[in-house]
Amino acid sequence: MTIERAHWPEPVPDRLQQLWLTLVVIAGAVPLLSWLDWRIAVLVVALFALRLVALRWHGAQPGRWLLVLLTLAAVANCLYVYGNLSGRQGGAALFLSMLALKLLELRARRDLQLVAILLGFLVVVQFLFDQSLGLALYLALVIGGMLALLADLNGAAGGGRLRPALTTTTRLALQALPLTLVLFLLFPRLSAPLWDLGLDAEQARTGFSDTMEPGAVSELVVNGELAFRVRFYATPPPPEQRYWRGLVLWQTDGRRWTVGEPPQGGPVSLALAAAADRLDYEVVLEPTDRRWLFALDLPVAAEGAAFAPDHLLRARRAVESALRYRVRSALDYRTSPPSAALRDYALRLPAATITPRMRALVASWRGEGADDQAVVRRALAHFNREAFHYTLLPPPLGPNPVDAFLFETRRGFCEHYASSFATLMRLAGIPSRVVLGYLGSEPNAIGGYHMVWQSDAHAWVEVLLPGRGWVRVDPTAAVDPSRIDNQSASRLLGAGNPVRFELTQGAWLAQLARGARQFADSIDAAWQDWVLDFSAEDQLGLLQRLGLGRLGEYGLAVLMVATFSLTLGAVLLGLVRAPRVSDPLVSRHARFCRRLARIGLAPHPGEGPQDHGRRVIAARPDLAAPVSRFLALYLPARFGPAPDPRAVVRLDALLRGFRPRRRR
Amino acid sequence: MNRPEPRPVSASPVDRCSAVLEAAAAVILGKEHELRLALTCLLARGHLLIEDLPGVGKTTLAHLLARLLGLEYARIQFTSDLLPADVIGVSVYDRASESFRFHSGPVFSQLVLADEINRATPKAQSALLEAMEERQVTVEGETRALPEPFFVIATQNPLHQIGTFPLPESQLDRFLMRIELGYPAARQEKRLLAGEDRRALVARQAPVLAPAELAALQELVVAVHAAPAVIDYVHAILAFTRASGRFAYGLSPRAGLGLLRAAKAWALLGGRDYVLPEDVQAVLPACCAHRLVGSGEGAVLDASRVDAEILAHVPVP
Repeated sequence: MTIERAHWPEPVPDRLQQLWLTLVVIAGAVPLLSWLDWRIAVLVVALFALRLVALRWHGAQPGRWLLVLLTLAAVANCLYVYGNLSGRQGGAALFLSMLALKLLELRARRDLQLVAILLGFLVVVQFLFDQSLGLALYLALVIGGMLALLADLNGAAGGGRLRPALTTTTRLALQALPLTLVLFLLFPRLSAPLWDLGLDAEQARTGFSDTMEPGAVSELVVNGELAFRVRFYATPPPPEQRYWRGLVLWQTDGRRWTVGEPPQGGPVSLALAAAADRLDYEVVLEPTDRRWLFALDLPVAAEGAAFAPDHLLRARRAVESALRYRVRSALDYRTSPPSAALRDYALRLPAATITPRMRALVASWRGEGADDQAVVRRALAHFNREAFHYTLLPPPLGPNPVDAFLFETRRGFCEHYASSFATLMRLAGIPSRVVLGYLGSEPNAIGGYHMVWQSDAHAWVEVLLPGRGWVRVDPTAAVDPSRIDNQSASRLLGAGNPVRFELTQGAWLAQLARGARQFADSIDAAWQDWVLDFSAEDQLGLLQRLGLGRLGEYGLAVLMVATFSLTLGAVLLGLVRAPRVSDPLVSRHARFCRRLARIGLAPHPGEGPQDHGRRVIAARPDLAAPVSRFLALYLPARFGPAPDPRAVVRLDALLRGFRPRRRR
Repeated sequence: MNRPEPRPVSASPVDRCSAVLEAAAAVILGKEHELRLALTCLLARGHLLIEDLPGVGKTTLAHLLARLLGLEYARIQFTSDLLPADVIGVSVYDRASESFRFHSGPVFSQLVLADEINRATPKAQSALLEAMEERQVTVEGETRALPEPFFVIATQNPLHQIGTFPLPESQLDRFLMRIELGYPAARQEKRLLAGEDRRALVARQAPVLAPAELAALQELVVAVHAAPAVIDYVHAILAFTRASGRFAYGLSPRAGLGLLRAAKAWALLGGRDYVLPEDVQAVLPACCAHRLVGSGEGAVLDASRVDAEILAHVPVP
């Protein structure tokens, strides 16, 4: 009779490790999922769910053929959604899908280690999408989870499971910190990216488009995101002067305004007021995926940005990650008269949308032979006097929005005002154009800079006045303050969204919320300043301060590799050598072994001191006397009950004369 | 039982042990290392499991040790119909005194040979194994102490033989050591064939140690010094078996205690009053192989693999 052998459970990888790995991967994939197409996300989430179910019920584990099918389906899915497998999104989608599939076939410990390494790649990929501090901290946690798993897999010493894994993780992280710092400070930085990732612009960013039609700006006005940060090098201008120009629109079809194709005249010169009026500042623009940049009305010099027609600033390429540039603006200026062609272009009207009552209104302003400036003044007075309301929830305007707004609804916000005003000016024979940008800025007392929010988006008008050039006119500002509807913004945000506290200035809660927002933003700004924008120049500056300014990029690379290898070497040396050499007896024995190692008689791994000595004597009978004497002193001193206090001295004396040589 | 007088007492207890080993080696040829391990096990107050094929001298070894150490000897042949009472003893009604009288079983001997222990049912096995751990037997509510010293040598056939009940690992853990005898080398085997009948030879052996001397030696083992470095080494070995992933389960604390005690006994046999790492290494295969199961395997380790699996990976102090 036989009894079946006891069934031993599969020792590694155990279920807890598998579950832990799965959870870490899911946690690591969550941010990426939110940037990928929903069809990818659905498949990946389904694979994760299948994985979790299969961990609980082994029957649900898909077989080999089903896995092959799933793999093909995942590839097809990525191809179908993105059309390629190489772009940022396509590549990330394929990678994530494959990672989720790999989770379904964890057989050996090796698979777990592989997935743990792939997880590191997953973490890196996400920085192609977002480089914020929050994400970095979150992903650092994910890495920590992965390290804990690796520590557990490799049997971190000590009792229990969680404690040793966490201890090892913490220790590893602390050990990695100096290396990270070295890499961060010394890794040669490139002024331009090495390669063009061909980042697809399909990802919708908040911000301006290059057209203006009713409703476009109002979406921004309720958007809570940051547009850019400004650091003024001197006293900032008063709030009503903070018009940030971004885009000039020339052409209208009566409904929407576009950039159009203004004829390019010759160089436009500026007549500037006293030099004291110049204002220097630095802007850090959040990614927009567009090229246009924003500058205070009106930029005269810029660093890190190029000038475009109409005194606009342009980035050299689409702004896909935060961009830093410096500008000098003059608030008081006078532009030279444009070419006749441009003047004519700025007078073009969409004839079909001009109604008799619009003509009558303009004629009434022009009536008494007033000059252009007087017409502008009267037009502004009209907006102020008549029952024009500022609201973010304007009534629908029908096919001819300008006419309907001017004479019927009289409710709207900046784009309605700018659009109507510019049209009326053109009707009156005054060249005009619409400018898109931001108005105002919120000082951040903690960070010492100003914040401009997407909700500060604004549209205004520039009119061409004889003798003064282009002059900024803001018809929205002409609306009587009593007719500004404060409630509409919060209503537009919808129930449950945070109420905008600017609307209830002064309340302590509002101040608290404002302080919290400023604090959070100042942390973001510091992250941007000190980490993301640590550029080649900053690096050079740091090295110069350290007296290493002469190093070029190659020198830098050499310095980095040298520092890195030295650190690694030190760590390895620490690992190879016995960890505690504090016991003087141990160090004497180590010296004894080193001397013997020179003649090829180092102790084997796992060989005790006595066995080692016997082997040495067997191999080299001529060394029998010193080796026996050494061991006769060392062994009782190290392991005996009453160690000889003079053993160390005697061992030292013995070792002084102990220099074994190879036999000829 | 006819017991010859002990030989005259010699100077040191360690010399007496050498005398025991010498005398044993004259009977069991070419197995000096195994004999030394067996004596170590006895000095460390542990029980011994001998696993090998029938006919290689397991029983002779047990009997010989009993003779040389002057121990009371009993042999239990384990069979599939063996009952616990056959091991422990039974209470029989005594008509004269009109009460039950306990007739103690073979387990009430100083050296018990449990022959072919894996042929008996788990029930009978556990009767012996409980006695081994507790060093006492409880029968019908009355606890009876076993003699002192109490030493069990169990033999078992390799597990793949038909008709065996493998000892569960919890019971394997109760044996301090497991050794294998193996076939003798050619020269020794020829001497064996040419020589006298072993049974007669064993019967002629006079005790080398008096029971009091054995007890004294066992006390000496406890007094052997284990330096902190050695304690660290033993612990590193235990930790390695638990954390390396090479084994399904690590060594138990009981295994660790046994390992250290066996190393002390080995050191004493070597004439030292302190433990060297080599002493730990010498007894490690015998002490640990039967308690370890390689990861992904279904059976306990082969003793010869312990060196490669453990010793080469744990740094020696």
